[in-house]
Amino acid sequence: MKQYTDTIKATAKRLLEDGTVDCFIGFRKGTMPMINHPVVITDAAKADTLYWDGNCGNNLALYLTGRKADEKIGIVATGCVSRNINLLIAEGQVTREQLYIVGAPCKGMIERRSVEAAVGHREILSVNEEGEKLIVEGKGFKEELNRADHLQRNCVTCRHHNPVEHNDILGSEVSEPAEAPVFTDLEEAAAKSDEDRWNFFQQTFESCIRCYACRNACPMCYCPTCFVDEAKPQWVGKSSDKVDTMTFHFLRAFHLAGRCTDCGACERVCPVDIPVRYLTNKLNRDAQEFYDYSAGLVAGERPLLDQYKLTDIEDFIK
Amino acid sequence: MTSKRFTKEAWGKAVEGLRESYKVWVPAKEGAHHFFKEYTDDITPDFEATKTRMSPKHTVFPQSERMFEYSLESSDADANIMKDTPKDYSPQAVVGVRPCDAYSFNLVKINFDNKEYRDPWWANRYESTTFIGMGCNEPCSTCFCDSVGSGPFDEKGLDVLVYDMGDAYVAKALNEKGEKALAAMNGGQDAAEADLTAAADMAAKVEAPSKVPTDKLRSQKLNDLYDADFWDELASGCLNCGACTFACPTCWCFDIQDESWNREGEVRKRQGDRIRNWDSCMFPLFTLHASGHNPRGLKVQRVRQRFMHKLKYYVDKYDGGTLCVGCGRCVEACPVNIDIRQVFELMNDFSK
Amino acid sequence: MDGWEPKIVAFLCNWCSYGAADLAGVNRLQYPPNFKVVRVPCSGRVSPKMILAAFRNGADGVWISGCHPGDCHYIEGNYYARRKFALFRTLFKHIGIDERRLHFSWISAAEGPKFAKVANEVVDAVKEVGPAQQLVKTKAQVG
Repeated sequence: MKQYTDTIKATAKRLLEDGTVDCFIGFRKGTMPMINHPVVITDAAKADTLYWDGNCGNNLALYLTGRKADEKIGIVATGCVSRNINLLIAEGQVTREQLYIVGAPCKGMIERRSVEAAVGHREILSVNEEGEKLIVEGKGFKEELNRADHLQRNCVTCRHHNPVEHNDILGSEVSEPAEAPVFTDLEEAAAKSDEDRWNFFQQTFESCIRCYACRNACPMCYCPTCFVDEAKPQWVGKSSDKVDTMTFHFLRAFHLAGRCTDCGACERVCPVDIPVRYLTNKLNRDAQEFYDYSAGLVAGERPLLDQYKLTDIEDFIK
Repeated sequence: MTSKRFTKEAWGKAVEGLRESYKVWVPAKEGAHHFFKEYTDDITPDFEATKTRMSPKHTVFPQSERMFEYSLESSDADANIMKDTPKDYSPQAVVGVRPCDAYSFNLVKINFDNKEYRDPWWANRYESTTFIGMGCNEPCSTCFCDSVGSGPFDEKGLDVLVYDMGDAYVAKALNEKGEKALAAMNGGQDAAEADLTAAADMAAKVEAPSKVPTDKLRSQKLNDLYDADFWDELASGCLNCGACTFACPTCWCFDIQDESWNREGEVRKRQGDRIRNWDSCMFPLFTLHASGHNPRGLKVQRVRQRFMHKLKYYVDKYDGGTLCVGCGRCVEACPVNIDIRQVFELMNDFSK
Repeated sequence: MDGWEPKIVAFLCNWCSYGAADLAGVNRLQYPPNFKVVRVPCSGRVSPKMILAAFRNGADGVWISGCHPGDCHYIEGNYYARRKFALFRTLFKHIGIDERRLHFSWISAAEGPKFAKVANEVVDAVKEVGPAQQLVKTKAQVG
């Protein structure tokens, strides 16, 4: 995927110079291993600083909301990001005409925590992608890992690697795995008793420090006033109390029902490594199972909870 | 001042022994990271850990702290009267704290305990705390403590400084508090002159790997920096998530919230308390006025504020250097890789 | 638990289910007094925040009732509600809350007897589970 860099630079430069876009959203190479820096550039001269590799896991669609209605925006979009773009258009946050989407077929993003664990948490100074290998270097060590063993969890189960909406495409399409994805955490949860599931939920979210990085990294969380900040009535307390923290995560996940594309940004940005997708995964799977719906696949399709069928399931309603 | 030498095993036992006279905080592993935790029976201290994910500021300034309590049940004699929450300010010791973090308490104290105001919760807890610090033999690649007034073996803010000599720890008391703590740590021998010399020699060779320029920060014109053209692009990727402020040892902002709930499960018997929680200038609500006006309603204004505060306003106001101790936690915690080291360069080297 | 009576919050839509409750009362049909009724214009008005708020304030169970699909006073409110509740219910179970605490029904204003019947069912189900302790907001567990 590193080969996309040159095309992104050239495209951004051209689009900014000829006025097709007022700004271009992409990434710069990070100063730390396994992370890149999302950036919105407005100057064609800065196009040379853009970069792409397997660490571009943050969802760039995040930066599309709250912009001026007449702003023309260029953006690099992988499969999940392009789905979020479709959703944001359906939800009236941005129009298709404003956007120039540079599609990026994606082989999956690297999960830095997995690489860190693989080298025993010794300090990593650099990680280089060379084809299907990752060359990991630190103080006094250099190891070679298989890229495919260290993908973000949502990338492992992804079945939409290619952008579903784009003006330009950076490379040939990636083939989708044929077999259905297996969500081990959901399978494990289903096998537990209610009490065990509750304990698991509590323990999993206990270390949450309420920084709201998960909410802020999510392109679908754009409410001007988040429910967390509502005071009359106050739906959830602001301290690190367990019940409040669980309430926050439950309600945030539910607000994403039918809107989550499983881009993994929430899990990626959590500073205390909480598997935030535990809840949204369940909703995504239920949306698929109950309504044969996957967010953002079809441009112009109404969001899941904004539509209904007369035959929707109601076996649980007396 | 007393110095003692402990084998690593003896050190472990000595720290455990400290629990008899202090509430002890130690670095302990949780998941992939280390955090300063209360040394209870189920905790295993890890003094070999490098940087904790979150700073030790919560040992003096907890993330959520109850300040007052009150009953809202009108039939109670003390209904609607705010009562101080009883606090425990008995002596505590933070063991394994790094020099950068210890120095951060000095910087934060200027805010919480000065001639105009003394925050009783922070100040009382700070005064009851002894900092038994561990110098850094191998600072992390993101550390730049040397550039901002601290250093891998800097003594500011510490009561005891400990040198890791490989096979042993050499602990040096720096003041009366340190003496007292060291006296309560059994199992060590008095350190020999040779031990102290070896420790000092070792420390002198250690340097923080990262460097940032700070020489021109004081002389930069505040308004020029404020109106600089680099803020828009720098702030464009920011999520305003607050991870930097929560991980930062010198960030001190908090929000006070009143909460009420049902006492004894009775909906009509309401109880309330006033709790203060860490807040963040990164949150849009931070500066929201009751009128609805928000002077920092735009993301770029908030991002600019944070860096101006740390690297300019504090510098100008107190003339004692920046409000950054070079611990590098924000660099590691930022989910979009906004690197404060780059901001130091942008601000220090800025010219109109 | 002797003498424990569950507290159940019932969100009833104004046009159908609330009317059914009235009709049950007028006809002297017996149903348990464990409900705190919240009248909403439509079952589609019920937000997950409200359901959580009920549990946080100590409700042992929540019951939401609206018009039959096709009969919604606002034409389609209950269709949207149906999807919302289906997803809410499974997520609630996913975090480990007993499904007997959460009930949904379609009851029209003419169905006084159905209202009384379902009311009894809901109370019986919640009684089986016992007092709710999982999401109750009490004194914050902080320092």
